[in-house]
Amino acid sequence: MKSRFEPILWPLLVAALFILFWHLAVVISGSHIFPRPTQVVAGMVELIKKGVLFKYIIASLFRVSAGFLLALCIGIPLGLLLGWFSRAFQAFNPAIQVLRPISPIAWIPVAILWFGVSDLAPIFLIFLASLFPIMTASIAAVQNIQVPYLRAAQNFGVTGMALFEKIIFPAALPQIITGVRIALGVAWLVVVAAEMIAVNSGLGYLIIDARNAGMRYDLVVAGMVLIGLIGLTLDFLIRRLERLEEIRWGFNQR
Amino acid sequence: MLKGMRIILCVLGGFLTITLLHLWLNIGFDQLGLTRGGKKETTFRVGYLPVTCHLTCPVTHWINKNMGGESIYEPVRFSGFPEVKEAFASGYLPGTFMLAPMAMALRQQGVPIKIVYLGHRDGTAIMVHKDSGIYSFKDLKGKTIAVPNRFSNQFLMIYKGLRDQGLSPKDVKILEMPPPDMPAALYTKSVDAISSGEPWMAKSEMEGYGRVLYQAKEIWPNFISCVLVVHERAIKENPEWVEKLVEGIGRSGKWLEVGTEHRMKTAETVAKDYYNQDPKLLRYVLSTPPDRVTYANLALLRKDFEEIEKLAIEAGIINGPVGFEEYTDTRFSDRLQVIKPYEWEGPQ
Repeated sequence: MKSRFEPILWPLLVAALFILFWHLAVVISGSHIFPRPTQVVAGMVELIKKGVLFKYIIASLFRVSAGFLLALCIGIPLGLLLGWFSRAFQAFNPAIQVLRPISPIAWIPVAILWFGVSDLAPIFLIFLASLFPIMTASIAAVQNIQVPYLRAAQNFGVTGMALFEKIIFPAALPQIITGVRIALGVAWLVVVAAEMIAVNSGLGYLIIDARNAGMRYDLVVAGMVLIGLIGLTLDFLIRRLERLEEIRWGFNQR
Repeated sequence: MLKGMRIILCVLGGFLTITLLHLWLNIGFDQLGLTRGGKKETTFRVGYLPVTCHLTCPVTHWINKNMGGESIYEPVRFSGFPEVKEAFASGYLPGTFMLAPMAMALRQQGVPIKIVYLGHRDGTAIMVHKDSGIYSFKDLKGKTIAVPNRFSNQFLMIYKGLRDQGLSPKDVKILEMPPPDMPAALYTKSVDAISSGEPWMAKSEMEGYGRVLYQAKEIWPNFISCVLVVHERAIKENPEWVEKLVEGIGRSGKWLEVGTEHRMKTAETVAKDYYNQDPKLLRYVLSTPPDRVTYANLALLRKDFEEIEKLAIEAGIINGPVGFEEYTDTRFSDRLQVIKPYEWEGPQ
């Protein structure tokens, strides 16, 4: 019975210690600006009362899901292709590496020019941010397939689509999922920057607007906490995927 | 791969749920296609920032909604001038409030922008920390001053003030900073002086650590900060809307000037619904002193703008003369000869 509750107990203990430390730090430093944990909770309650909390969470989730899923649909196939066909990789990789380090914030003017001030602009930014980790992981996954598997498949006469379906894709899947997990984290991280563009809903918008509305730092931190908690949930969901047999083989988990 | 299919279906199902929820809660099914060519533009979007300079924008919308039930235009809130600039330049925002020198600079770069009306007069100050020993521009020598943007009349006002006392911008350190960050920067003494539109100046005063060094009117009488601009295409395609907009701004300006009671009512509602700010702050700005910011005399006058243009060229933020006729379209402001305030007593 002990081992069932332990996975929850330890993290809760760490969280409780952290909140205590936060409260003490604010009280001791006597800061007028940084909110205490109780003020943050009060801020969240205020948002719930105003009826906007759920709306904002849904708005951000929508934008992140749309951008992220788009990145999955384009990034994984593209990554697999580029990983397999080395000439294509040689041709396109430099361009990818040039685009990869450009921060989404730098893309904001382009996003506004192409997509205006609608939901499409943040979705585009999130798509860009998620695309590169997914593609990089997929390319590496294919390039790192153990040669013996491919040779064995050749010996059995497996080629073409069957080769892809039975050997290449399953072999690449563990590393692709790692890339997907990282990309989801990045996508959720970029939501604050992406919602700077004059959308009027969302957790990122909440943070930026609370700051513009004059020292509502309790709402700013409330937004941060919510983003963190949802990020935790999303990561948890992805890690459940990793427990599937098709993926677990690649990790040697204890 | 049945398991894989199941997972994919679950994910797609989840996404569909989130999308429908989002459409229902945040967008409303009737407003789909809010992009440029999406659907016929039955509302005219006007951008604003949550600053007192732009107050007539939400006030006009608020009064029109309460008096007539609907408004032909839709105020869109932005959080910074760079986004306003891009949204306007790409054609998604047919009208907006904007810094006057920024509008001139955009015109010079070829953007089809036209200034049609003013936003307000005065409503800016230079604040210093109350413990600093700074009492004049000479005391600012070698110090750091924060301005919202180099294309702002705050920067030009500081330039003018320095010049009039024999100094130049090289004697001070000018820092570009978003106005909402300025009160905190002054509080922690990371900058020595701040200048932007209200309510950020009043905020530092209200919270006890800021002191007014100069009000804008002391350096530059009848100071202009923000102006109402529209895209040339809007003037060509929908001149009657632009005319109604200008008239609306003029009438709400007059309405705000009728008396303190109107201003207090504005502070209560507009602060909360349109600005997401504490009403206390806006109440303070609109009343202490009563002429801290004025919304009358909003017509375009050549001499105001030529003065701004001259200072801007001198200060080096635009490369040469632009021409009053180039960046303004005075027909809407000229047609508004007698402005009567809206006849509405506010929410009862």
